[in-house]
Amino acid sequence: MNIPPGWAWLGQALLIIAGIILVIWLCRLGERRGTAYLADRPAYLRPLALLGGVLALLSALLPWVTFELNDGVYPELSTLQFFDEPWGVTGFRGFILLLGLASIVLAFVPIPAKRRVYRAIGLALFGITLFNTGFIIYYGGGIGAATAADGVVAFGGLVGLVAAAVVWFAHRSGPLEQVPLWNSKVSRAVAYPVLLLAFIALLLVVAMLLRAGTTADGDSRAYAGPIFLSLLFFISGVILALNGLGFTKWLTDVSDKHRLWSVVVLLGCSIALPFTEAGTDYWMTIAVNIGVYAATAIGLNIVVGLAGLLDLGYIAFLGIGAYVAANFSEASAAAFGIKLPFLAAAIVAAVVAGVFGAIVGSPTLRVRGDYLAIVTLAFGEIFRKAAQNDIGGLTGGANAIPDIPPISAFGQSFSAPLEIGGVKLPSGVLYYILVVVLVAVVMLVFANLKDSRIGRAWIAIREDEDAARAMGIKTGQAKILAFLIGATLAGLAGAVFAHKTSTVAYDSFQFIESVTLLAAVILGGMASIPGAVLGSALLIVLPEKLRDFQDLRLFLFGLALVLIMRFRPQGLIPDRHRRAELADEGVVEAPSQEHNVADSTPGGGAAVTR
Amino acid sequence: MATLLQQLISGLVLGGQIALIALGYTMVYGIIQLINFAHGEVFMVSVFGALATYNWFIPESWQQTWPLALLAMLVGAVVVAVVLAVLMERFAYRPLRNAPRLAPLITALGVSVMLKEIVRLSFPGATAAVHVPRAFWDEPITFKVPGGTVVIGSTGLLVIVVAIVGAVLLQVYISRSRMGRAMRATAQDPDTARLMGVDPNRTIVLTFVIGGALAGVAGVLYGVHLNNVDTDAGFLTGIFAFTAAVLGGVGSIKGAVIGGFIIGVIKTVGGQYLPGGTAYDLVWIFVLLILVLVFRPQGLFGEPERVRA
Repeated sequence: MNIPPGWAWLGQALLIIAGIILVIWLCRLGERRGTAYLADRPAYLRPLALLGGVLALLSALLPWVTFELNDGVYPELSTLQFFDEPWGVTGFRGFILLLGLASIVLAFVPIPAKRRVYRAIGLALFGITLFNTGFIIYYGGGIGAATAADGVVAFGGLVGLVAAAVVWFAHRSGPLEQVPLWNSKVSRAVAYPVLLLAFIALLLVVAMLLRAGTTADGDSRAYAGPIFLSLLFFISGVILALNGLGFTKWLTDVSDKHRLWSVVVLLGCSIALPFTEAGTDYWMTIAVNIGVYAATAIGLNIVVGLAGLLDLGYIAFLGIGAYVAANFSEASAAAFGIKLPFLAAAIVAAVVAGVFGAIVGSPTLRVRGDYLAIVTLAFGEIFRKAAQNDIGGLTGGANAIPDIPPISAFGQSFSAPLEIGGVKLPSGVLYYILVVVLVAVVMLVFANLKDSRIGRAWIAIREDEDAARAMGIKTGQAKILAFLIGATLAGLAGAVFAHKTSTVAYDSFQFIESVTLLAAVILGGMASIPGAVLGSALLIVLPEKLRDFQDLRLFLFGLALVLIMRFRPQGLIPDRHRRAELADEGVVEAPSQEHNVADSTPGGGAAVTR
Repeated sequence: MATLLQQLISGLVLGGQIALIALGYTMVYGIIQLINFAHGEVFMVSVFGALATYNWFIPESWQQTWPLALLAMLVGAVVVAVVLAVLMERFAYRPLRNAPRLAPLITALGVSVMLKEIVRLSFPGATAAVHVPRAFWDEPITFKVPGGTVVIGSTGLLVIVVAIVGAVLLQVYISRSRMGRAMRATAQDPDTARLMGVDPNRTIVLTFVIGGALAGVAGVLYGVHLNNVDTDAGFLTGIFAFTAAVLGGVGSIKGAVIGGFIIGVIKTVGGQYLPGGTAYDLVWIFVLLILVLVFRPQGLFGEPERVRA
């Protein structure tokens, strides 16, 4: 790499930063002015929605790139023709077409909470157009690729951005409506089939998302990133719209009332994933990873989400579980020559991790808040360092513990492909089912604890430790118990992890992994079970899908952490209690007023306290 | 004896660097109760800032004369670190001042990851360790002691001197000057401080500026002393520095410096004599951190802990 002359480098950097700041500033200015103008002008809703819809249709039909690029990273990427098919209505342009049509049709249909729906459409359009336009400009080598060059005109992306803005502004023509409340007292004859259909739809969406942009064995096709993200934005938009219409609220209420049926159907649907288009070896591996992470994240959720104790070294418990299971597996590098059956090994792993959890948790008796975070970080680093140095010959040090045999039961190795009645299932499917069971068990533990006496004690400690103690809660015991149970769950996950990956190495348990786990919990929503699963899934699937941007992975991860904390600290699927609390603290108002949060904070010189 | 003294001196040199960074932690934590995880990365970026200054922004004749080169690197590093610290405060932390306590901490983690990646991706060659030129007179100074000789590099001596002088100046500034009083007032009670005519925002920015400047100084010294740097330098040094700040008592300048020296000495002397050797030197530091937090949470020189939410 040739070193650029300093001034040119600095100039370039400053130019880019100035450009970004200018664009953000313009957007904010436009957003404020537009909102100020539109407020209390409900008559503008329909024309704006129509205009936006028409523009979206236009953008879907316009070409998006001006020329073919011949020196891409991959041969398949050497042209951007995916974007310049004229009249193309497949892929992301199909989504834009659908959103545009929806925008036009809904302008004439009386529906409740119309502005919420338009907000959803606007955001989905914005996500799709912004990402794809950005992709074209990045790979096309400049703005010219998305506008006009060499006599070819391609304003599809820019028209799409305008369309997104117009549709989005349509919802600013007045305050957001209340989310309509549907009657959730429905008979079983209605509830059961509806729930069944809903969960099957969820399963199919998940399978579709997993497969988007990849071939059967998981190799990235060209444009995997744009294809996947466009689908993700589209589906998020649809879900957000259903949310605004009150449908998801109704569905959760109904499934709350028929909990047993929901759990059965959900389990059935989870186990059915290998039979969908995502049923390949590769995606089974990814799904197992998601499950292991999700189980660990739910364990962490007990510590962080319920008890409010920040743990920055949590991955160590997964590591301890993995090392214990590895040592009892009869791998050649294992310290003990005995081979325990998997279940026994998993229990030992969980117990050992739990004991360490209690040890790590014991400083909580005297240390609070940020200091506790540092103590846990210190424990995490001690674990990593000890593992790296092969402490007591238990970890293999830099050589790791390789060749851990797969779990086998009834003469069937879990990593071999399986055939049932002529239907060939991908290898790893048994691991997948094991992980589904694991996650189900962990969820069960979490859900029961949350509503139990100890769970309420944890929440009380999270809210105000001194008050909790005054009410007679033994805070010390409760806090150590939180660490112990959380670590036990992580240890269980670690046992599965060891057998599935077949190698346990110390560098799988670095600080950044603890941060990733924490990010999964926070992204999904603290103390929320579906949130932890969604967060883990996103944090594992996104890097797989965005391999073209491998280099930027960690950078985007850091940026995402900052942005989530800034704009949606309650997470994607906030826990109900938690949502109420955060709203009380005046940090995050009801979801309907997100813009106010953005407006009131910086520069206002408002309240400055801690 | 000679080995012990030698390790002691290496420890003091390391401790000097840690102390300079710990001052930034202790001041920021003292005023807004935020563990600024990204402070270690500010230090790391400043090393690269110094390097960029040396490589690209000064005439070749300056590169040959160390006083000019060192001065230029110092300016470059401090400017980079201060700008970064101020931007961070303004865009990442200030919007979260009223948020639950977890939010700023996680933001700080995010900023830390981001800064590291930005440097790794944008600085030519930063995917591996990068060489930093010697920009100080590099005569080692040798002492004769019973049982051998002890060597201290001239840069090492500079680190120790700068750390102590810097801390003394800072202490004087905080205890004597008008802005120093404003800082202490804001740390105690921002609302009352505002009623007394102190602008808390300005005071907090100033705290970040001072912390950043000290990290910049530490960055240059680190570079010219070790003669290479990689993007991982920030994380561990940052954790050490935070440990030092906690050990000395958060909010105490004297404590941060003494804590820094203690950490440095434990790392080198402990690496020599404690069981496990250098492979476990980190572990001893963290064990010490845990013990201090458990048995004396206010640190060696801190005030007894107030109730923290």
